[in-house]
Amino acid sequence: MANLQHIRRRIRSVKNIQKITNAMDMIARSRFNAAREALLSNIPYVTKTKEIMRRVVGQMRGQEFEHPFLKTRDELIAEQQNANGKFLFIVIASDKGLAGSFSSNVFKSAHDTIEYDGTDDGTSTGDDDEDENFHKKNFDALAAVKPVGQRSQKQQRQMSATGGMARAGAHKGGGGQGGGNIPVAREYHDADYIDGIELITVGRKATTHFKQRGYNIIKSYHGISERPQYKYAKEITDLVMERYASGEIIDVTLIYTRFKSAISCVPDDVTLLPLVTDDFVKAGDTLKEEYIYEPDTVTLLDKFMPRRLATRIYGAMLHSAASELSSRMNAMSNATDNAQELVGRLNLFYNKVRQAGITNEINEIVGGANALE
Amino acid sequence: MATILLEVATPDKGEVFAKDINMLICRSIAGELGILPKHARLLTELVPNAMRIKVDGGETLLFVSGGFMEVTPDKITILADSAETPDDIDIDRAKAAYKRAEERVNVAKSKGDAAIDIGRAEAALARAKARLLVKGVPVD
Repeated sequence: MANLQHIRRRIRSVKNIQKITNAMDMIARSRFNAAREALLSNIPYVTKTKEIMRRVVGQMRGQEFEHPFLKTRDELIAEQQNANGKFLFIVIASDKGLAGSFSSNVFKSAHDTIEYDGTDDGTSTGDDDEDENFHKKNFDALAAVKPVGQRSQKQQRQMSATGGMARAGAHKGGGGQGGGNIPVAREYHDADYIDGIELITVGRKATTHFKQRGYNIIKSYHGISERPQYKYAKEITDLVMERYASGEIIDVTLIYTRFKSAISCVPDDVTLLPLVTDDFVKAGDTLKEEYIYEPDTVTLLDKFMPRRLATRIYGAMLHSAASELSSRMNAMSNATDNAQELVGRLNLFYNKVRQAGITNEINEIVGGANALE
Repeated sequence: MATILLEVATPDKGEVFAKDINMLICRSIAGELGILPKHARLLTELVPNAMRIKVDGGETLLFVSGGFMEVTPDKITILADSAETPDDIDIDRAKAAYKRAEERVNVAKSKGDAAIDIGRAEAALARAKARLLVKGVPVD
């Protein structure tokens, strides 16, 4: 039989937790409003940058102007550009927990993308802007540009070593392999594969998650996930551009949470580099009009393209911040509701126990009185 | 009178300006530009300046702190780092910023102080100057 004091103590502790979750809910709510505001005021800028970029890139390609930024992946692959580079992933998650499944959703999507082995095509997020290509979609192309010979040999060794552990998938072999099937193993414990990956993480949770799994994190940003600032997006861009220009990376994918509405936030992955996707090629066929570029095309491209990149990263950070706060809001209001329910149930229990005790005592008194007669 | 749509967007404040205008006068890194309706397609980078926007015979000023401008025959899109109307600008702060920037540039020029990035100092001066111009304060 539970004793009354014990139940009282439990009720009190649940009530205290409820107070905390309620306070966190309110904090998240007010921050969320600010974050949503910031996101909404950023959207016109992002869309406009995108429009301009589409027109300009389309036009430049129509003019057959040559510049590394203007090449599609297929063209880069054909030229073996950055062929020895690594894959870079930028993962944006949160600094703090208590936001429901927010971070784990991001990580799930990140692992899905990073460890994609060319076989399962189940979970690709389909309903996205047409120009946002995915690392996954490009897998075949990427596998072709990576020095397939070396890599696949290494990976085959790895596979026989790990045996059934490694997920092995056959995909169409490109490049110099003459169309044979090349098994590719991509597991996070696959050291060779991890070697070819670099990560930039935003948010303490993301850093710890990927560090534990042995990924190579080249830079991480903490303390900015709730209130992103443009200068950090710029810093990331500078770093990415520098590494891309020096041929250290071949492909940049951004994984973040897209904020759709307060109740719907979905993890999303977009390819940042190469900038030009097949879509632009099509646009280039339609737009042949002459543009004036001042001071000159190359200078302008060199400045405008990084700006577009930074804009996208900043936009993603804002999306992620709004998503994080709305997830936290939901999680905390659920917790408060649950605590409320629990207190109700405990109170009922408490009263039952108390009543049972009283009934017992009365019985004893009555029994005692009867015995005296 | 022919008009052209002008849209100014910033990363933090959304669409700051969206209106049909008659003429835009602004400064790009290649020099002063006047844009009339039906202008040829153009893409350029802007420097901090006080843009003059002519609408219905009148003229309004808008401060932009650099960014990019795309012109198509019927639309001008400006992607500004930040943009401010005269109402947004605090005159005392702008004056103080101007003085500070001026001093920094002077110090950097005369002493060759390595601690001061002269490029940044000059950009700050240009911004402060453009802000004051938008506010209608004469700057020498």
